[in-house]
Amino acid sequence: MSTVSETTIPIAELRRSQLRFRGLEAGHRACQGCGQALAARLVTEAAGPDVMIANATGCLEIFTTPWPQSAWRLPWMHSLFENTGALASGMEAALKAQGKSTKVLAFGGDGGTFDIGFQALSGMLERGHNVLYVCYDNEAYMNTGIQRSSSTPHAAVTTTSPSGKARMGKRHLKKDIISIIAAHHIPYAATASAAYPSDIRKKVRRALAIEGPTFLLIHSPCPLGWGHDGSQTVEVARLAVQCGLFPLIELERGELTSVMPLRSARPVKDYLKPQQRFRHLFQDDTRAAQELEHLQALADHNIEVYGLRGTNADPLDSDGADTVRRGGMRWA
Amino acid sequence: MTIYTRGGFALPGTSVEFKTGSWRLQRPLHWHRDAPCHTACPAGEDAQAYLARFAEGRLQEAWETIAGANPLPAITGRVCDHPCESGCNRGMYDDPIAIHNVERFLGDMALSEGWAYPVTAPARGAVRVAVVGAGPGGLSAAYHLFRRGYRVTLLDALPEAGGTLRTALPAYRLPRDILEREIERLLAIGITFLPQHMLGRDVSLEELRADHEAVFLAPGRQQSREWSVQGSVPRDLHTGIEVLQDWISMGSVPQVSSAAIVGGGNTAVDLARILRRAGAEAHVITHNALPGPDAQPDDMMAALPREVAQAMEEGVVFHEHRGIRRLILRGEKVVGVEMVRMKKLRRPDGTLDRVGFEGTETVLHVDQVIPAIGQDVAPDGMEGPLGRKPFFETDAWGRVAGHDGIFAGGDARFHSRGTVSGAVGDGRRAAEAIDRLLRGLALPEEGTAEAIAFEKINLHYYEHAPRAREPVLPVEQRTGCQEIERGLNSEQVAAEAARCFSCGTCFACDNCWTLCPDEAVLKTKELASDGSHYVFDYDYCKGCGLCVHECPCGFIAMEDEI
Repeated sequence: MSTVSETTIPIAELRRSQLRFRGLEAGHRACQGCGQALAARLVTEAAGPDVMIANATGCLEIFTTPWPQSAWRLPWMHSLFENTGALASGMEAALKAQGKSTKVLAFGGDGGTFDIGFQALSGMLERGHNVLYVCYDNEAYMNTGIQRSSSTPHAAVTTTSPSGKARMGKRHLKKDIISIIAAHHIPYAATASAAYPSDIRKKVRRALAIEGPTFLLIHSPCPLGWGHDGSQTVEVARLAVQCGLFPLIELERGELTSVMPLRSARPVKDYLKPQQRFRHLFQDDTRAAQELEHLQALADHNIEVYGLRGTNADPLDSDGADTVRRGGMRWA
Repeated sequence: MTIYTRGGFALPGTSVEFKTGSWRLQRPLHWHRDAPCHTACPAGEDAQAYLARFAEGRLQEAWETIAGANPLPAITGRVCDHPCESGCNRGMYDDPIAIHNVERFLGDMALSEGWAYPVTAPARGAVRVAVVGAGPGGLSAAYHLFRRGYRVTLLDALPEAGGTLRTALPAYRLPRDILEREIERLLAIGITFLPQHMLGRDVSLEELRADHEAVFLAPGRQQSREWSVQGSVPRDLHTGIEVLQDWISMGSVPQVSSAAIVGGGNTAVDLARILRRAGAEAHVITHNALPGPDAQPDDMMAALPREVAQAMEEGVVFHEHRGIRRLILRGEKVVGVEMVRMKKLRRPDGTLDRVGFEGTETVLHVDQVIPAIGQDVAPDGMEGPLGRKPFFETDAWGRVAGHDGIFAGGDARFHSRGTVSGAVGDGRRAAEAIDRLLRGLALPEEGTAEAIAFEKINLHYYEHAPRAREPVLPVEQRTGCQEIERGLNSEQVAAEAARCFSCGTCFACDNCWTLCPDEAVLKTKELASDGSHYVFDYDYCKGCGLCVHECPCGFIAMEDEI
């Protein structure tokens, strides 16, 4: 066992000279292994410097802007939980009035998107504002202490959907937000995952190239709220995709136009097992066994309706999902 | 302190003032670990390293990486049993990398391009070291001593260098021109080669010791073991190695219509194959099992599995788990052998015993029996260090106890692997030991280098890709000396290099840089001092360990800080 020595290159100099755009700077206060910080970093990197951000209340807003500091290197404005869509609409209208082409991004969590900010978002989509709305979906109100949201998956435990005699975690299903968004007949709506950086970049660029309202839902694991180690963030996000519970799809004008096929569908147990929020499903209890089957059926349903099983021998690879190459070449 | 009023704003990127690194209990660090191909190679080649150079398109550097351990890659790329491929982690995913084909390709390229060995001529008046035996072990020792600045005298009893490579390897496995060119090139770096110098006849060990500061003995095994069946020996007995050597040097084989070859090593298999080429029926009788997935490792015949498979294709008949109980003689002439089923069974003390089973006798009609049961060291001139044994008793560095300055290796050493790459490794280690002895340095501790485990590889980041299949000469064309395995072309070899997992060594895939949520991994255009292109910024790294888990090749590890 031999460890190798540290570099002698001055670190501050290295940070200044990084050959990639940085929208979100180091020093933010996200937890260890935060999936949302990773996803927001990837989105802003792909979007580039000519954007402005409207950010709903939530973890992202809190951990990036501890007054008087900011981790953003982009124009950024905070809104309330309920009005990010409205704020972004106004920013876009103002830029348009000034004849500027700067693109507006709206960021919100699942609480600010599925629940509280949904009306303003729906209005923004309906009015056709030229905004990319990105929802970082960590499937509960993590910032306020892990309360259930309409995005929390069925059977997951939160502080307001505990497991006990009456219920095995959340009783209801995860809201199918992407279908609701797509039903606004917008030009582009897609899902992505923090585990697939190239896919995120592709979808951000694709959305920004479109004139009109676009929407991106990014599955962003929360180590604290989901109860897994910070080192497993990407692993857990990847398993969610690979078991079929979080399909990566693209919808244009409400029509399904592409999916990321699965190399081989993993059992949902593989995804659930590392997470404390599903721990109760692995106890010796017939209700637990039934809920596991229910979640497996939901995954199988997704695989079927979205056609996630590829037709090639190695469908995932032929789509170049996440193969690494010597020298860092990625497909996006 | 700045006073911020209502409606104020924060300046961009000011969060860098806050060092989140203070949250950390563990930190990630770059940690090179040996790939299993490297730890498995008896010659000490680091296949991962030269596959990487190859994938970067730096072919000459790739060859130099091999040549740092093994000066004969064109030869070993052909004849080695490639334990590197058996160890390859990719074998547990789809197929191991065709490492031997890459080695062979680079070796051939060095021959055709004339790439120079990475050596400098020793100083005038440099210390002299003698090497006895110009087989793979002796050539390797001579080369590594020369690299370390010694003047080397290399002796061999035969008129040409090569040893076993020349006398016992048929040309269909190792073409003569490859052998000639690689050895000629190696000797030309400045090694003094004295052919037809036999120890004990032309020069004594004492005379050598007087002129040289150290001697490395790699005479091989030249004396066939005594063989008889219950005291009876056929009148026209030839040993397998004699027949093989006669065919290789003169093209002659005994005129027989059928032969039973006793033994399970490469000599037995090669002999059977040349008898087939001469039109005879060839039977190989071995106490051991044929290679295969069901065979126990300590019960498997010693010949290379692919050689056995090719021999079967050519019509050689193998009789596994058989022994010869009796020769059937008419006068003193063999007309057949009586075989019996045998197996190695464990005695109560754990050692193996060969047991024949009564009632399983069968008769094989053959007109010749050829034993190929192995050779011992011919003691001529080396009686001292041999000490009445049929082999040299040495430590891992080749030192012969009680004989300062005398080292031994290759096939002549006890516990030798009996392979070309094993001999090359013996030569390299002995050269290092000799160098350290002569410079008065202690030997390094025996490395217990453990290869990086398959579980450390994150398979999500690799595509399935089939191994390139090497074309082989069709069976009906295998009549002479034409090489059977035809090698891979440059595209296939490049594809093989690209399939490498790069176990334990960074290949600059950008994963850590792409996936750090905290912008705490920075990329450098030039190589960082640890050989990677990435630097951890410990001012901000929160120690989540995400990069460790997502590093495809296991190059990052976590270390406790408190």
